[in-house]
Amino acid sequence: MIETDRDNSFDPKCVQGNILRGYHYARVRHLVLEVVNAALARRWLSQATDGSGAAPAITTEEEWLIKPASCFNLGFTYDGLKALGVPNASLASFAPEFKAGIARRAVKINDVGESAPENWASPFDTPDRVHIIASVYAEELEELDRVERQVADGLGGDGFAILGRHDGWNFDTDHVHFGYRDSMSQPRFVGVHDSDSYPDKQPLVPIGSMLIGYPTEYQNIRYAVPQPDALGRDGAFNAFRILKQDCAAFERYLDMAADSLLDDQLGEELLPVGDEAKFGPDTSRHAALREIIAAKMCGRWRNGVPLELSPDTPCPPEPVSPTDYDYGDDVRCPFGSHMRRCNPRGSTIVQRAARHTRRLVRRGYPYGGRYDPGKPDDEERGLLGNFICASLAGQFEAMMCDWLNLGLQDPRITGSNDPLLGANEAETSWFAIPLKSGRVIKLRGFPRFVTVRGGAYTFLASIPAIRYIANLER
Amino acid sequence: MSVRRRMNQLVPRRASLNDLVNSMSKSRLFGWLAGHVLVPYWARKTPVHKQPGGARATVQPGDNVQRMMNLILPLKDKTAVGRAKAAMAIASNLDEIYAGLDNVGTVHFARFVIIENNMCMISCYDGDFSNYIRDFVAQLGTVFDSVIALIEDGEAMIPTRDNIDTFINWVHDRDVYQIPDTATELLHYGTIGQPAVKSGEVADLRLIARALILQLHANPNALLGSGYRGYPGISAARIRDKMGFGW
Repeated sequence: MIETDRDNSFDPKCVQGNILRGYHYARVRHLVLEVVNAALARRWLSQATDGSGAAPAITTEEEWLIKPASCFNLGFTYDGLKALGVPNASLASFAPEFKAGIARRAVKINDVGESAPENWASPFDTPDRVHIIASVYAEELEELDRVERQVADGLGGDGFAILGRHDGWNFDTDHVHFGYRDSMSQPRFVGVHDSDSYPDKQPLVPIGSMLIGYPTEYQNIRYAVPQPDALGRDGAFNAFRILKQDCAAFERYLDMAADSLLDDQLGEELLPVGDEAKFGPDTSRHAALREIIAAKMCGRWRNGVPLELSPDTPCPPEPVSPTDYDYGDDVRCPFGSHMRRCNPRGSTIVQRAARHTRRLVRRGYPYGGRYDPGKPDDEERGLLGNFICASLAGQFEAMMCDWLNLGLQDPRITGSNDPLLGANEAETSWFAIPLKSGRVIKLRGFPRFVTVRGGAYTFLASIPAIRYIANLER
Repeated sequence: MSVRRRMNQLVPRRASLNDLVNSMSKSRLFGWLAGHVLVPYWARKTPVHKQPGGARATVQPGDNVQRMMNLILPLKDKTAVGRAKAAMAIASNLDEIYAGLDNVGTVHFARFVIIENNMCMISCYDGDFSNYIRDFVAQLGTVFDSVIALIEDGEAMIPTRDNIDTFINWVHDRDVYQIPDTATELLHYGTIGQPAVKSGEVADLRLIARALILQLHANPNALLGSGYRGYPGISAARIRDKMGFGW
C-alpha cells in the first residue's frame, strides 16, 4: 500500500525535465559528447544551469505557461563524471552498475550476439569516450540545428567533441516502427500533477522510484544517494538505448504465422470464421490473423487499443480507454506479451515482493523513415529509447533479465523471451497464445526482431548537481 | 657396436627416466614443493583475476534457473556462545523466513549451516542474483540485520534496507566461487594486466590445469560446477504450479 503523504519535497526547479513528465515534441536530437577540456566543459555547464552565456539552458521540471521552442537536457556517464573531475570518493558512491557502464553489463541484459557491444555502431564502440548525452527536443529541424550550434560553438566547442548525433522523429503521431501506437501509458507519481491525467488502474508511483533520495515502491528500501547529497539527490538514472528494428523480418513472420493458422483448427478458434469482418469491411482472414498475432505479441492492437479491454477486435463498438485496465487471465492478453512482461500491472506474479517495483519512465522516438511493406528497403530504422529510473539494477536490469527475457514472473512463460524485444533465436524461440478452450497456440521460429546498436547508462543529474560539477576545481 | 644394440640400451634408459618424472608428482617432496613453492611462485609471477563468487552471467534461459548461492560468513564470536547466538538469530525468525520465501517466489530451498565458526547460507534460486537478494531484503531486512550483526565486517551494512546496493555487493563477495562446468572456460580468466582469451583466439589447452590451480589459489573455497540438478531448467514456480501448491 502506498502512503500518499510520502516525502515528496523536491523542488521542480532543481530536477531536470522529461523525467516526471514528457515534452511531447515531434523531434529529438541526441548529441554524444566527449569531454576534451574539463575546465572549459565545466564553465559551459555553469552557463547551462543559469542560462547565462551561449550555452543552451537546461530545461527543468518547472511547469511552463508557454511551451518553449525547444528543451535541452544532459545525461552524464560514469566516465563523463570522471572526465569532468568529480572526486574519486564521490565516484565510488555511485551504484555498481552505473560505474560499470552498460557495455560491461551487456550479458546481464542479453545484449549478446549481434547486439553485443563489440558490434555497436560508432561512437558507442568506444564506450569510454561517451561522456555526455545532450538531448534537444523541438518541433522543427531548424531549432534542433540552432541548439546544436549552441553546443558546438564557443565554450562548448572547446570543452567537448561531438562524437555522434542521433535524430529521432514522430513520423506518424505516436506510432513507432512495427506499426504500433506507443507512449500512451507512463507512471503517474504521488504528489505530482499529471498533466495528461488519463485514468489508470495502477497505483500511483512514489517519486523515489524515479528520483534519487525518496521512498520507493519497495517496502522500506531507499536507493543510495551518491555523495555528496548535492551531487546525488534529485537525480535519476537512464538507460539510453539505440534499438534497431527489423521491420521486414517482423512483417514476414506475421505472414508466415498467419499462413500456418489459416487452415488450422486452432486458427479457427483464434479467429472464428466470419469474425474477420470485425477488422473492417474488406479485411481478409489472413490479414486479420496477422493483426491478431501482432496484437498478442505486444498486448495491444497496433492502433493502441489494449487487448485486455478489446480482445477480439481493434475496433470495439464502444471506445475503450488505452490505459485504464488491469490484467486478468491470459486468454485476453497472453502472459508472454511484451507489455505484460515488462509491466505486469496488478496481476499475480511469482516474485510478489517485486510487484510494481520495476516500473520505468519510457521516453522514446523512432528513427529512420517509415517502413513501407510494399517497398522493402535496407534503411536502418528503430527507436531511440530513454528508460529512466532511480536504480538501473533494481528496475531496468531487473526487468530486462528476469522478465523481458527468461519470463520468471509466471511459470507458464518461464524459459521464453519477449517476442518483440527479447534475445530470441529462431531455433529456440516460442510464444504461447492461450485460447478459450484451454488449448494453446505455440508460435515458434521467430528471430530477434530488435537489435541493440548502442547505448549508455547516464545520470540525469539535478540542477544543483550540475552546478556542483561546474564548480569543481582541479 | 651395432646401431640395433645401441638402441636396445637407450630404450630402457628413457623408460626409466619417464618413470622417474612420472613418479615425481606422487612423491611427498614434490607435492610439498608444488603446493608451497611452485604455486605461490606462479601466483606471484602471473597473478590471475580473483573471479567473483556465485553463478556466472549466462544468456541461455535454461541456465538462468536453479542457480546456487553458498555464502560463508565468519562469525565475530568464535565460541559456542557465538554459535548459539547465530542459531538463535535464525530460530527466532522462522515465520518471517517462510513468509519471505513465499513472497520472493524464486527459491527452491535455503538452509543455514554453522561450519567451524562460519554461518553458511546455502540456497538454490531462480534468475538474477541481485534481484533475489534485493527482494529478500525487502521482505526480510530485519532478519538479515540480526544475522549480519553477528558476522565479521557486517555492521556497516545495517540497516540492510538503507544500504541495498552495498549489501548486495557484500553478499556477492562472500558467495563461493563456482568452478565452470566446462574446463575451457577457465582459460577466459585472463591474468592481471593481460587480456583474457577472446573468442576466435586459439586457447592453449595445456594451461587448463594451471589456470584451475591458480584460481583455487586466489579462491580457496569453491563449488564444483554450477550444481547438479535432478530436473534442470525448471523454476521453483513451475514445480509449485505443477504440484498444485500455488505460486
